[in-house]
Amino acid sequence: MNGHLGGEVVPMANKPVTWSRFRYPQSLIRFGIYLGILLFVSYSLDYLNIPLERFFPMFGRLWSSIFSRYYPPDIAYALDKAYLAYVFETIQMAYVGTLVGVLVSIPLAWCASYNVTPNRRIGYPIARFIIMASRSVHEMIWGILFVIILGYGMFPGVLALTLFTIGFAGKLFSEQVEAINIGPVEAIRSTGATPIQVMVYAVLPQVKVAWTGISIYAWDSAFRAATVLGYFGAGGMGWYLKLTVETLDNLRVSAIVLSIITLVIVSEVLSAWARKKIGAK
Amino acid sequence: MNQSGIESKLERVIAQRKRSKTIRYAFYIILLILVLYSIRITVIEDTDWARIGGVGTVARALGRFLPPDLSVVKYLWGPTVETFMIASLGTMIAIILSLPVIWLGAHNITPFFPVTYPIGRALMTLSRSVNEIVWALIFVAVVGLGAFPGILAIGMRSVGFVAKTTAEAIEDVSTRPIEAIKAVGGNRLQVIRYAIIPQILPIFISIAIFQWDINIRRATILGLVGAGGLGLTMARQMLMYNYEGVTTVILTMLVLVGIGEVVSYYVRRAVI
Amino acid sequence: MIRLEVKNLKVRYSASGPEVIKDVSFTVEHDDFLAIIGPSGAGKSTLIRCINRLVEPTFGEIIFEGVNIPRLGHRELREVRRNIGMIFQEFNLVDRMSVMDNVLSGRLGYMGNTRSVLRWYTKTDIRRALQVLDKVGLSDHVDKRADALSGGQRQRVGIARALIQEPKLLLVDEPTSSLDPKIAREVMGMIKMLSSEVGVPVLCNIHDVQLAIEFSNRIVGLQGGLKVFEGPPATLDRGALESIYAFEVL
Repeated sequence: MNGHLGGEVVPMANKPVTWSRFRYPQSLIRFGIYLGILLFVSYSLDYLNIPLERFFPMFGRLWSSIFSRYYPPDIAYALDKAYLAYVFETIQMAYVGTLVGVLVSIPLAWCASYNVTPNRRIGYPIARFIIMASRSVHEMIWGILFVIILGYGMFPGVLALTLFTIGFAGKLFSEQVEAINIGPVEAIRSTGATPIQVMVYAVLPQVKVAWTGISIYAWDSAFRAATVLGYFGAGGMGWYLKLTVETLDNLRVSAIVLSIITLVIVSEVLSAWARKKIGAK
Repeated sequence: MNQSGIESKLERVIAQRKRSKTIRYAFYIILLILVLYSIRITVIEDTDWARIGGVGTVARALGRFLPPDLSVVKYLWGPTVETFMIASLGTMIAIILSLPVIWLGAHNITPFFPVTYPIGRALMTLSRSVNEIVWALIFVAVVGLGAFPGILAIGMRSVGFVAKTTAEAIEDVSTRPIEAIKAVGGNRLQVIRYAIIPQILPIFISIAIFQWDINIRRATILGLVGAGGLGLTMARQMLMYNYEGVTTVILTMLVLVGIGEVVSYYVRRAVI
Repeated sequence: MIRLEVKNLKVRYSASGPEVIKDVSFTVEHDDFLAIIGPSGAGKSTLIRCINRLVEPTFGEIIFEGVNIPRLGHRELREVRRNIGMIFQEFNLVDRMSVMDNVLSGRLGYMGNTRSVLRWYTKTDIRRALQVLDKVGLSDHVDKRADALSGGQRQRVGIARALIQEPKLLLVDEPTSSLDPKIAREVMGMIKMLSSEVGVPVLCNIHDVQLAIEFSNRIVGLQGGLKVFEGPPATLDRGALESIYAFEVL
């Protein structure tokens, strides 16, 4: 086959040139992934006994049944003074839990960052382990455990939130530290500084802004968890949720859920504004 | 500068540092007082210290959780698989449901900005503001107990985060491919398909996997309100006051979450 | 009088990795300005960082003030480090801190943990800082944030920070690579002048062979982790340069 290029005759390859978007083995992997997901979904639906055929007609009835049961919400109940006291309690719990959690996370994140940890062999793995363990256990479980040991009230809630914050902020803090510019760290080390001095002079100034943003984000997340911790007895407005759910007092349930949503939205708006103010992302 | 020039500057610098030091220390002391005071009113005053007893009682209470009751392990296989499935299916629902929300909530692709953008954002916020437990309570009340309400709850809870982060990624997208596609005559849909999607797809997948990992953690506790999985096993062990069994269930949860984290770490590395 | 002696230094970063420094020995006299030249990847940066153990040597001795640096424990290492000042290619200042605070951080090796965390500097330290800032010509910039300065000014802060340690040896890692040629010459001149003023020997990595010839009194040429040249600048002729830079791809 000959082609013409700029007036000259140019020999071309005999095979027709084809192009396709995915070549082997990429196409095989993609196909395999889709197939795998499909198989997994159908297996799970069967395993979990989910009657999908019954679900679709139910869908329409779902919304009307939700509506009839939960509307109109009993707003007066949510504005009751006793309830508002619990709301205040929730805010306090979130605040103390975050504060203590962040304070503990600062030295913990320092030890858990490979580039600046004072002790690579023992301190580093222990600090990493503490952070991972705090994160892996859901805050509700911490709450339940502490309620079993310490009884009802705010104390177990505060402890649960502290551990939650340690896991949350600890990980984010150490990620920031491991991303810093190592230059100033080398410079401070070369003056003969101790690991603590290196932390204060070379690391903290670089991560200060990001850490403040993370702390605000941690408060927001802790507050969201605090609203529900009371369901298991760990203090806060969640307790009222449990009471109303158990007595099937649905209109009051919706009032409480509404109050939770409102407060969380307010907290989110506040924290987003604060984080923008200090210039963190 | 001569020696006396330095000396006078020295005095000025020292006075200045003293001033800023006093301000800083005042701040730290106020902070400390605030912390101690808030700890006092939340923890110390509110707690029934008589009931807790001394350190010994607490230690004994902790001791009831050990050693872990290994006889429970044979009952755990099913619930673990169930938790894993709830998390996975819930994440899939979240991915599907997030697509329209993303479309509404990203200001460069939303169809009618003054109306659809706020709706999109509101949906995202709504999904994220309601704790997974509350979602589970709602769905359990409506469709009954079991894994199904759990899946729905996880799905509804995750939509917000996936949609929000992806929408923000879309808003930050580079405009150059968009211009290029428009220049060759592409319509709005083609711009989305060829200029926007290739840029955000890795981010979207990475976020989805990230949420999948978090959803495993969330799914473990949904059973506490009746939505299936290991939470149900834990609730049952608590009802029987078998605290050593509770420990076993919690350890299993840790293992499951741990596996999820490892898998999600490696898959996300491969995608981005 | 010998201040620093490096004997048979070998460095590899990991057990299975290549040897970055293969076998290097040299000495530094008390009045030396020793320039280390060589192509990129020859090991210059690694060599200088071994002296104060920012990089761990794998084998060999580094004798400074009667002690063998690679063998020191953590506390003794810190004491030795405060007697060695270092100036960096990227300046390595703490951007958010003021010039004064950056210079004062040079005294950290002499301060206890509590005092440094609370930033309780003594009057003597602040006086030292003002004096050294005067010497580098930055008296008017004392309270400015470090990132508000130009490149040449930042390097001068780095010089001040190294000098406030009152060191017995100055390590200088490519001080001019991030500066324009004219400023580069000024900075080199300042380092040379101030170091000879206080009687401190200098060990300096440098890319620019011209500057090396102009400011040093001895030159060591490194290539592929080995010392291939040693002698006064006058003997650095074309043949010597070719053997040092033979494999440099340009």
